[in-house]
Amino acid sequence: MGLFEILTGKRKIKGPAPDRLFAMSTAAVTLEMTLQLHSAGKAAIVFQPLATADFESIVTDMEEVLRGTGDDTGTQVERTDDSFGYRWMVLSDPDFEDLVVGVNVVSQALQDGGYGERILCAVFAFRDAQKRKVYWIYNYKRGAYYPFVPAGGEQRRDTERELRLKAQIGNELPIEAELDRWFPLWGIPI
Amino acid sequence: MTQNMPRPTSFGKDPGLQVRMTLTLFLLGAVYVVLVVAMLAAGVNGVTVAVIAGGLALFNLFGSDKLALRAMGAREVTPAEAPELHAMIERLCIQADLPKPKVAVADTRMPNAFALGRSPKNATVCATTGIMEILTPAELEGVMAHELTHVANRDVLVMTLASFFATIAAYIVQFGFFFGGGGSDDDDNPSVMVLFLVSLAVYVVSFFLMQALSRYREFAADRGAALITGRPSALASALQRISSGMHQIPQKDLRAASELQAFYIFPPGAGKSLANIFATHPPMEKRIAALERLEMQLQGTAR
Repeated sequence: MGLFEILTGKRKIKGPAPDRLFAMSTAAVTLEMTLQLHSAGKAAIVFQPLATADFESIVTDMEEVLRGTGDDTGTQVERTDDSFGYRWMVLSDPDFEDLVVGVNVVSQALQDGGYGERILCAVFAFRDAQKRKVYWIYNYKRGAYYPFVPAGGEQRRDTERELRLKAQIGNELPIEAELDRWFPLWGIPI
Repeated sequence: MTQNMPRPTSFGKDPGLQVRMTLTLFLLGAVYVVLVVAMLAAGVNGVTVAVIAGGLALFNLFGSDKLALRAMGAREVTPAEAPELHAMIERLCIQADLPKPKVAVADTRMPNAFALGRSPKNATVCATTGIMEILTPAELEGVMAHELTHVANRDVLVMTLASFFATIAAYIVQFGFFFGGGGSDDDDNPSVMVLFLVSLAVYVVSFFLMQALSRYREFAADRGAALITGRPSALASALQRISSGMHQIPQKDLRAASELQAFYIFPPGAGKSLANIFATHPPMEKRIAALERLEMQLQGTAR
């Protein structure tokens, strides 16, 4: 943040950094092979829906595109709105590669429409050998991933597991360096 | 002058608190000036005074957070204690690309919220139980985004620095009297009284300037909140709801409300707002108008 921005109090919201999203495509193989983390066959991209006609039409068009390509790839799309007013575009596909591509289609469509800064994050769902939920969250503003492991119970997370995952995945994913930005997402619908 | 008050978004008619804070701020500054003048008059050298002034400013930046929180009757809450508030702020932080601040809650029915801290890494945002009760989640989100924008804009730092320079300005005037006008003549040295009056005048002017600066930054925070949430109307609605005195209407069922206020026909404590120039915040109508303009831009209907 520049001095001018501080003095004038005019801070812009960052747009998304989609380029590093695709690191997950290759990392997923490592997760599967060496860490026994299997894709749950679902991923989601979360954004703030704006109540404007323009935004609605972009989202509708984008959903149609996804459904159209879904006929070929087998990707299914669902939308849900959570209690915080955020919209989840939930993609289901047994082929992990298609999930990453689908997430990118959504973020690209929003960005092309000029609404890139509305994107919150993308979430990839995994299950470990004990069928417990492990999520990798991609923070678009930061262009970085971090693990999120809910530990059951009200708003508890398995921080130890998350830190271990960070060490285990090593350089294969761009990991968020600041631990205080490993924001949890409660009530993930996937 | 010092800026160790929290940055309030004193929405709504909150005259008692507003008067107290304004008075405190004013008196703090006046005391500061008196102190400096007294020290100068007593022959303490200028460098020492500058060091003390700088020290006080540093204390404000680094040490006043806890004091301010305590003064507001607020305490930090864990995610387990306030899960909804924490989760809301976490999402806003992702959106605004900020580290998560500490979250505090003040147990009072007065709807209010404020932010503290010199930098995003050392920030605290606080909401009162009153504001969490009367606002819808989307409106509360707008208010918290407003506070986070204060954090992102480093308003505490800016205001502290601004007040520090105001102090220095007051200083230069004093030195002007000491060394400029008087020279080495013994006869026409200004009295301590004149010095005091001049520095006080400088201080008064800078006080009003700072209030104006503060109002401008409130507009900036409103705008920032609208940008973060994408819902200017939600914040406008929150402002409207608080200012229109709807906070006087209890949300609880009469049978559940044990407080005596529930039985008043005219709720106590509805007062007049202060004159514009004393206000740290722009008038509510202007803020809402600005947010309406943002919503029109968003909808593509702005002229």
